Amino acid sequence: MALTIQKRDQLFGVFLTLPGLATLLIIILFPIIFTIITSFYDYTLLNPHHDSFVGLDNYQEVIEEDYIGDSVLITSQFVLSTVLIEFFIGFIIALSLNKVKRFKTVYYVILLAPLMINPVVVGLIWRMILHTELGIFNYLLKLLNINRVNWLGDNDTAFWTIVFVDIWHQVSFMTILLLAGLSALPREPYEAARMDGASSLRCLISITLPLMRPVITVAILLRLIFSIKTFDIIYIMTKGGPGISTDLVSYFIYRSAFFGLDIGRASALSVGLLIIVLFLTFFLYKYMRSLN
Amino acid sequence: MKKIFILFSIILFFASSITYAKTIRILMETVPDTVYLKELLPEFEKQTGIKVEIEAIGYSDMHSKLVPQLLSSQGSYDLIVVDFYWVGEFTKAKWLMPLDDFVKRDNIDVNRYVPALMNLVGQVDGTIYMLPFYNYSMAMVYRKDMINDPKEQLAFKSETGLDLKVPTSWPEYWKQVEFFTRDNDKDGQTDFFGTVIQGQRGDCVAMHWSNFLYGQGGKYNASNGEPLLNSAAAISAMAYYKEAIAKYSPEGSAAYCFDEAFNIVAQGNAYSLTTFNIMYAGFDDPKSSSVVGKIGIAPNPGGGLNGAWGWAIPNSSPQKEEAWKFMKWAESFDIAKKRALLGGAPTQSKIFKDAEVIKKRPYYPILGEILAGAQEFPVFTYTTEFVEKVGLELNLAATGEKELEKAMNDANKAYRKLLVKDGKLAN
Repeated sequence: MALTIQKRDQLFGVFLTLPGLATLLIIILFPIIFTIITSFYDYTLLNPHHDSFVGLDNYQEVIEEDYIGDSVLITSQFVLSTVLIEFFIGFIIALSLNKVKRFKTVYYVILLAPLMINPVVVGLIWRMILHTELGIFNYLLKLLNINRVNWLGDNDTAFWTIVFVDIWHQVSFMTILLLAGLSALPREPYEAARMDGASSLRCLISITLPLMRPVITVAILLRLIFSIKTFDIIYIMTKGGPGISTDLVSYFIYRSAFFGLDIGRASALSVGLLIIVLFLTFFLYKYMRSLN
Repeated sequence: MKKIFILFSIILFFASSITYAKTIRILMETVPDTVYLKELLPEFEKQTGIKVEIEAIGYSDMHSKLVPQLLSSQGSYDLIVVDFYWVGEFTKAKWLMPLDDFVKRDNIDVNRYVPALMNLVGQVDGTIYMLPFYNYSMAMVYRKDMINDPKEQLAFKSETGLDLKVPTSWPEYWKQVEFFTRDNDKDGQTDFFGTVIQGQRGDCVAMHWSNFLYGQGGKYNASNGEPLLNSAAAISAMAYYKEAIAKYSPEGSAAYCFDEAFNIVAQGNAYSLTTFNIMYAGFDDPKSSSVVGKIGIAPNPGGGLNGAWGWAIPNSSPQKEEAWKFMKWAESFDIAKKRALLGGAPTQSKIFKDAEVIKKRPYYPILGEILAGAQEFPVFTYTTEFVEKVGLELNLAATGEKELEKAMNDANKAYRKLLVKDGKLAN
């Protein structure tokens, strides 16, 4: 029996997606399921076997853990600050770059440079730049007769220093995504608006923003997810300190697993984080869709 | 065609058997002693025909790289080095191979090692799991040129009534720290520091603060095993630590680790620092230091923290016999002495007294003295977690984010909980 063209196309499609799906299954679904299962067992590096089921004990331990509440709060503050500031700066840069005609490539290269540096290297470079005694930042401040700043050693400053470094590193990601969206916008609505005498601000609010909504949603969502997972710069620059002022949840999980040797507890923490990320993604996505 | 194929196969077969030589793989840390050992490797390869591949990585990555290898039934490392932090954990998890049979068979005298080191990274509950490789006990480095400067001596005497000399007690040391803290360019901010704190949360502060604890005559445990982190000595040690951060050490030093602290002294911006003895050679290297020849080393008043690395053969090692052969070679007197001559930190008592070594490295007897007075750090199954938890409380106390006594009480509680978890104390 010969298949209809439509059926054949469908089969071909399935055939093409199979390798991708299989890879996804292995590298994403398997670790997630393994983590969920492990979170119900007393699975430690000293006894790495699923042989003692402990139910929700690991979750209970996580809730009772010292400083976990602070860590969640600090992570939320970090995510909010980085994503919002990156969005605003990124959008402003994208808007201005969108108008630029000459040397576009040069700007792109400059803009993309931080993004191409490995986060570990970013952390190491900034740690040296911000060194209180030997760093160039404080040296420049001294030339201007401003007192040196304790960038990473002071509880209040350290958090904003980390936020700043993250923005420096990641803002171009936001810019590039938004710029791609801007350059794909149709010209006609703008021309029509101009004819009707609309100002630039009016165009931005009434045309650009509504048209850009899907791109903005994706850009914010992606940065949100990346930001929640931030680990490298904390690991390199502050190790969660001073005190607990930069102790993000991802670093908390790492400590449970590799210092506490308790993979069960670390898995419970990871599952908690996964649920939060899923909810956030789901609601943000729904909210943005509802606006359309 | 067929003939050519057969001929080619035969040639290939012979070629492969000729070039085939055993290769052992070792995971090590990027420290000076690893570099010295690498320089001597050709000797071993010539002697035994065994090739050696050393993979050297930074400390912070070692534990997470080692554990998966140790967990598998056949790992990729034949031989490893183990920090004393991990000894309790690795032996409890049965990841290391007992060496008693090898030691007995080849008549290795373990008494050649400094006893404190053999206890730290050699024997666990009567079984030999490791041979001590190098020690990194902590000591005080200070500005020799300043302490010997007659003008400074006079000023110190008139200010404090004391002679300016290498300090042997904590109060004497603290007077010097205070005396040497200065605002040289008179801009209202201190620019020359009496000491440098390395207060970064976790490992850095835990190791560094320990020296302050010993300086106050404090200890981590009472004789019955109960933790003593809220004892009077511990609280006084933290008060000194806070005072240093506030007055005598660079402003950001509550977030420093040993490399930053080293740099402050190496740039000529501080009088003293308590650091690992293996860092000392770096002060005399013009590439990393602007105070070449000006730095002296002495025991920390009250004793410094003892630390060491040991060689071990993991149970997952694919070539145990070859690994042992290498360990035996590296720890032979001859090679251990050559390492010391290159600048390595010895573990065998005889090397500290060897005339040739002392001639080349005149400060080695002081290193021996430092080691003899070195104090113990808690070693048990959960040492890594202990360091994280207590290191956090110490940092909170040091930065003033938590009230001093509350932080020390919390540190004590966290320590006790881990001791109970490990079965060392009853609940």
